[in-house]
Amino acid sequence: MPVILARIDDRLIHGQVTVGWSERLSPDRILLANNAIAADPWQTRVYASTVPPDVEVSILPVSKAAASISEPDNLNERVLLLTGSAEEMAELVRIGIPIKEINVGGLHFGPGKREMLPFVYVDRQDLKAFARLLEMGMTLSAQQVPGGREHFLDQEQIRQMGEKF
Amino acid sequence: MIRALVITHGGIGQELVRVTEMILGPVPGLASMSNSGKSAVDITEQIKQWQADVPELDGGDPSSVEGTLILIDDYGGSCSTSAQLAFGQDPGIAIISGVNLAMLLGFVTWRDSGDFEELVAKVVQKGREAIILVGGR
Repeated sequence: MPVILARIDDRLIHGQVTVGWSERLSPDRILLANNAIAADPWQTRVYASTVPPDVEVSILPVSKAAASISEPDNLNERVLLLTGSAEEMAELVRIGIPIKEINVGGLHFGPGKREMLPFVYVDRQDLKAFARLLEMGMTLSAQQVPGGREHFLDQEQIRQMGEKF
Repeated sequence: MIRALVITHGGIGQELVRVTEMILGPVPGLASMSNSGKSAVDITEQIKQWQADVPELDGGDPSSVEGTLILIDDYGGSCSTSAQLAFGQDPGIAIISGVNLAMLLGFVTWRDSGDFEELVAKVVQKGREAIILVGGR
């Protein structure tokens, strides 16, 4: 299935995704790749219930999410793919999914994280995953909402950011 | 006491609580929280922390809490999802979306006079009744 947006966002399925990007891109399905949520029926139900009724939703472990994108069924389904971290997105790309660009949508402040952009706080692990994504041929575009300013992240910026730790 | 926490995007909740107290005076057990700058996990943790902490800070006994209203601005956003994840299906908690000023004024007015279930129903009804096509067309 074609992935129309592959987004890293630690708020997972929320307004910027279900209203902001979905209004703009009209995905057929929102696919959240997250091991912990996929393993917990209650969390799966809570997140799935927030998706608009005309959009399908799947919440799958990372390995199964990559496989489901490559399945021959629903070949024409347009998918908005979400992960909560850069590492999980790098894992999906490593397994193999048909995308070229990653949307860095929101990584919020947390212990040991430093500001890269006002909506992108990173630690060393995030930077490593960003670098891996670039090495695998991805473009990294940081943009919170449609129409918002787009910042492209390159290896030099990631290296400079790494020096702050 | 029945407590209430208003969880919203940006500063909406803080202002709603401020204006409620401007109209009715200080309201113990009423607080606000913003999702600004926080991940889903952080919001969920802070909600749990509020639930665990405030009765002690108020000098109260946690067991004296007779119920908790969680008022959120928009269903399906990070505030409502985090509130659901923080509390599961706890019968002592009611999570209500679409918070408006009328609901908060109603909460303060009625919270000492009825039981929790009744209060929840009245606050929901008040919130709906406050949406009125007033005129101008």
